Amino acid sequence: MKKNSKYCLGIETTAHTFGVGIVDFEGNVYSRINDIFTPESGGLHPMLVKEQHLANFHKTILKALKEANLSIHNINLVAFSQSPGLGPVLRIGALVSRLLSQKLNIPIVGVNHCIAHIEIGRLKCQIEDPLTLYVSGGNTIVSAFESGRYQIFGETLDLAIGNMIDSFARDVGIAHPGGPKIEKLAKESKHYLSLPYSVKGMDLSFSGLYTAARRLIESKEFNSKYNLSDVAFSLQETAFAMLTEVTERALAHTQKKEVLLTGGVAANERLQEMIEYISMEHDAHFEVVPLRYAGDNGAMIAWTGVLKYLHNGEDEIKHTIIQPKQRMDNIEIPWRE
Amino acid sequence: MNQEPMISKEKVIQKGAEATLYYGHWFDREVIFKQRISKKYRIKEIDKRIRAIRTLNEARALIKVKNYGINVPIVYEIDYSNSTIIMSHITGDKLKNLLRILDKSLIVKYMSKIGVFTARLHIKGHIHGDITTSNIIITKNRQLFFIDFGLHEYSDSVEDKSVDLHLFKRVLMSSHGDIYKLCFESFLEGYESEYIQNTQAKKSECQEIFNNFKIIETRGRYVKKEDRQ
Repeated sequence: MKKNSKYCLGIETTAHTFGVGIVDFEGNVYSRINDIFTPESGGLHPMLVKEQHLANFHKTILKALKEANLSIHNINLVAFSQSPGLGPVLRIGALVSRLLSQKLNIPIVGVNHCIAHIEIGRLKCQIEDPLTLYVSGGNTIVSAFESGRYQIFGETLDLAIGNMIDSFARDVGIAHPGGPKIEKLAKESKHYLSLPYSVKGMDLSFSGLYTAARRLIESKEFNSKYNLSDVAFSLQETAFAMLTEVTERALAHTQKKEVLLTGGVAANERLQEMIEYISMEHDAHFEVVPLRYAGDNGAMIAWTGVLKYLHNGEDEIKHTIIQPKQRMDNIEIPWRE
Repeated sequence: MNQEPMISKEKVIQKGAEATLYYGHWFDREVIFKQRISKKYRIKEIDKRIRAIRTLNEARALIKVKNYGINVPIVYEIDYSNSTIIMSHITGDKLKNLLRILDKSLIVKYMSKIGVFTARLHIKGHIHGDITTSNIIITKNRQLFFIDFGLHEYSDSVEDKSVDLHLFKRVLMSSHGDIYKLCFESFLEGYESEYIQNTQAKKSECQEIFNNFKIIETRGRYVKKEDRQ
């Protein structure tokens, strides 16, 4: 602990991760602890996720303080994920943060989860003004900074890419999270089965692709003419080609010189390879957010909280109500330009 | 490419995300070669399918919509095996670059014209699929051209037509946030006026499209509960 440093504790609770991170106001990260809900079967039931977060939040906070070698009384600011996400789950983070703010008499700020993903990426990859492809279980967004906001250039019209892959994995009996296992299966095949490719303008649709992949699995020809690896390979190739096409077009349109890949699906090596390829073609510098910070975590909330606090000051308690459906392009970004 | 001197590909004028545009000559005419480039990031099965479908689709669309009174380049030749369209060269500036410097009255005029062209497409059952300010060229004598039909589709559904409007609004918001309201209102005004004047338009359709457009806006992933319908 340095003298005169100010610290922000950030709480991330939009989905299955209850994350706590501590950063100082200069952007050094002191801790990043995640408590992750894993369902025994099926997907994420918001009420079950909520139960686990409610039961474990204090342990996670204590762990984070211990890792940073700080006492709760050293904390000068508390930030939490205010939007977007699962309502019951968001509410836990808001509740805990309000409690800390009132009890310790420190300011509180609410942060948009998607913006936090971009901000921690800019910090950790030391880049200024990227075009971001943010792909996770809950979001599929191509975004870049323009006219004072993180504008959305393309997004999914239905399923998020991670959700689509996880759902498909679940249908074929692979436990949550299915993404990494589908990636492994896909590497075993080179046999492409035709699947619908759906790009509408700059937006994407994955629901038809998901249904078509399921039909392949349910078909009589499954396991005689092709196997699960072939379907996994075709699913990934189609979905990632769609993502890459939209990202490339946004890159050509915005002329950004940096590309950032983030979110849980950023861990997929095939997707990294594809996005890196188009970045090179457009002379843009490519970065994948270090996986520790690409998935949901508290450090990104803490850092974005610092940025917001230094420019806008604290949020009044009455403005800390959760906003499960808030779009990132509705929020002004005063700390840039 | 054809080696005859009558057809010459002279210089690259734009490397787009999907295609490379070359300037050249086709007999005595100034032309653009639009070549859909192979994308090494995707596997060849997907790459081949997408390039072939889009080349043919675009050439056919350009030929058809010219008859509806929409300014588009003239198609001279389709070189299918190279996924290339050879079309007339439109000299001018991209609307995207002009918007920053144009007078308000001209912005209104151009946006209204885009609305008219879009309505003409829709009335005839064409969906542009990618109306953006980089796909529109303004010539020296202030003619407005739609130059890119790469994502064109045929459809008569209210849903697809309203998605077209929605996508254009999104482009205006993300690239021209400061003047997007003026732009989009002029666009809608032109669109509606064409629907009223065009004798081939189904009279009720414009209103249906506007209603559905509002629904689409509230359909995104993150929309306030009170805005949902």
